[in-house]
Amino acid sequence: MMPAIAGKREFKVKQAILKGVYEDNLKVVGKCAHPLAKKPSLFRNKILLFVAMSLITLLGYGTSSNLSSSPVKQFALSPANTRTPSPPSSEKTLNPSDYAAFLNGREPLSRVFGLGVRTIMIDPGHGGSDSGTSGKMGTHEKDMVLDIAKRLRERLRKHSYYTVLMTREQDVAVPLNKRVELANAAKADLFVSIHLNYLPSKPINMIETYYFGPSSDPKTLKLAEQENAGSRYGMSDFREIIEKIGETIKLQESKQLATSIQKKLFVNSREQNGNVYDFGIKRAPFVVLLGVDVPAVLAEVSCLSNREEEIELNTESHRENIARYLEAGILDYLSKGDLRYEAKREQ
Amino acid sequence: MKQKESSKEDNILFVGIDLGTSRSSISASNDTREWVESYVGWPRDFISLQVVGKPVLFGAEALKNRLSLDLCRPLEHGVIKEGIEKSEEAVKEIIKYLIDLAKPESGQKIYAVVGVPADTLKVNKLAIRKAVAEFVHSLMVVSEPFAVAYGMNLLNNALVIDIGAGTTDFCIMHGTIPAEEDQKTILNAGDDIDEKLFSYLTEKYPNSRFNKNMVRQFKEQYSFVRETPGDIRVEIPVDGKPVMHDIKNEIRRACENILPAIVETTTEMIARFDPEFQVKIKNNIVLSGGGSLIRGIREYVQDSLKEYGSCSVTCVEDPLFAGSNGALKLAEDMPAKYWEPL
Repeated sequence: MMPAIAGKREFKVKQAILKGVYEDNLKVVGKCAHPLAKKPSLFRNKILLFVAMSLITLLGYGTSSNLSSSPVKQFALSPANTRTPSPPSSEKTLNPSDYAAFLNGREPLSRVFGLGVRTIMIDPGHGGSDSGTSGKMGTHEKDMVLDIAKRLRERLRKHSYYTVLMTREQDVAVPLNKRVELANAAKADLFVSIHLNYLPSKPINMIETYYFGPSSDPKTLKLAEQENAGSRYGMSDFREIIEKIGETIKLQESKQLATSIQKKLFVNSREQNGNVYDFGIKRAPFVVLLGVDVPAVLAEVSCLSNREEEIELNTESHRENIARYLEAGILDYLSKGDLRYEAKREQ
Repeated sequence: MKQKESSKEDNILFVGIDLGTSRSSISASNDTREWVESYVGWPRDFISLQVVGKPVLFGAEALKNRLSLDLCRPLEHGVIKEGIEKSEEAVKEIIKYLIDLAKPESGQKIYAVVGVPADTLKVNKLAIRKAVAEFVHSLMVVSEPFAVAYGMNLLNNALVIDIGAGTTDFCIMHGTIPAEEDQKTILNAGDDIDEKLFSYLTEKYPNSRFNKNMVRQFKEQYSFVRETPGDIRVEIPVDGKPVMHDIKNEIRRACENILPAIVETTTEMIARFDPEFQVKIKNNIVLSGGGSLIRGIREYVQDSLKEYGSCSVTCVEDPLFAGSNGALKLAEDMPAKYWEPL
């Protein structure tokens, strides 16, 4: 039953495997992995330098005057400017007055009709062959978001009022349109997709939450394209659909849900670690958000490109905390206009 | 075959640890082999501390005294239901206990390779390293099926199916350290059988009193698939009186329940390879973990795969120690330069 390989070859294979184990473990420790960690960073610096230089050359020619405000530049030259990016449109970032505006805003229609939320669908992003983004220590987005989603499910289930479902419970690939079908088939009342961000050029941690809607921001569109890559719809297919939807209940509700989640995530995360940026709530045409008939948001709960954040994400307590903030955000949204949760909110 | 690294540094104890959901085992280079059920219990209050007489209990002893303990099974489902600090503490206690069982001499350096369920490894690498780091001088963490494969010298064209308690892990070896796509984890495993058996028995004997722990013992004693000679009867109390119950059909149903998923995943994983290698891999499938002890499972898997061409399935000889022995072999083979002090 053993493979009959010549002794010498087997020895070689073994050596390669042992080396693999060693390197794999070095990657986990991160800080000790000098010989491994240095190389890529040097390489990255070179690329960065190259990109920066070619950009300067480009700018020198003055081919386009609006390039200076384009996101490409922000990404490339970022080490020098690690502040929160300024919003190109008022839609992008949420400031306190916006929160206030939501709170004082008109009552959403579903509430007027007294429609309650019973089924919550949690959607851990990516899975299977699609790892999502990966950190330098080899942490995959798909594993982290699945773990956070499971924790969130356990938490929400404790409020026995809700049925909590997940689009995937294992490390399997689920196409985006399948996720949408699952949510619609289960008659979910709320859809929360969990993702991790990756900002290669910025050593910061950031939190942002998307809800479905047309977007004019090219950076958001780019992200949407990445996250939509698994679907079989074409970009033009759903532009049409988007335009049809307009200002509907779903949009209002999704916006409120996004606001609640973003607020709770950010405020609490900042308490843990001051070095986190609020990128606010944004509209974006993500496929997962589009197809679902009910309020749907996509939360980018953390940033895997940030080294400290990656280490933190590898601890259970941090993932549990993120699940807790998401839970708080969802409950916060649900409790608005619903007296049943007033008592809980006081805690 | 083994390179003896220990010649110049004699005072090193190599240990291989298999940190399982249900059972954990240790194999050491001083020929110690020990195992413990992965339960840790702390006395609830000072009265129970008086009763059990120890600050922390393990395995069967902890289970026996579970009414007076805070019981924790740290690696259950890879997700810790409550008390994260507690489960991290529990992993630490298990490691400490296992290493003590290996009886290192004082002043001896301990170099450890720890095998953990593949899913746990993905999200808890750092936590596990932290838990183990206190008790050893140098350390590497690998996935369980990989440790089993290495231990059996299945380095090339082989598939290891590790049927554990929380998960069933698949790992294809093709001459390198297995990449992400060479490994797969599904949740159909031992705990799944327990749950099914529990619900089947509750359905059939609504008046009988039994608990999850009893059901697990029935499974471990009688598990089988397809057919087995003789009846399976167990004693379960009804209204306080012990009564014999026939549980044969329920055991079979519960055990067979996990197999379709395992067979399907196996074919799926093999199908990704070159046809030439597919044949080789199919003739080199190894079942390990507690699930490989289910009577008839080897034949079942082999026959189910037959329709895709000839294949050969074997079981590891000693599922309890296959992981830790493999981890120990990894530790002993590892060149000295790769062991870095923590």
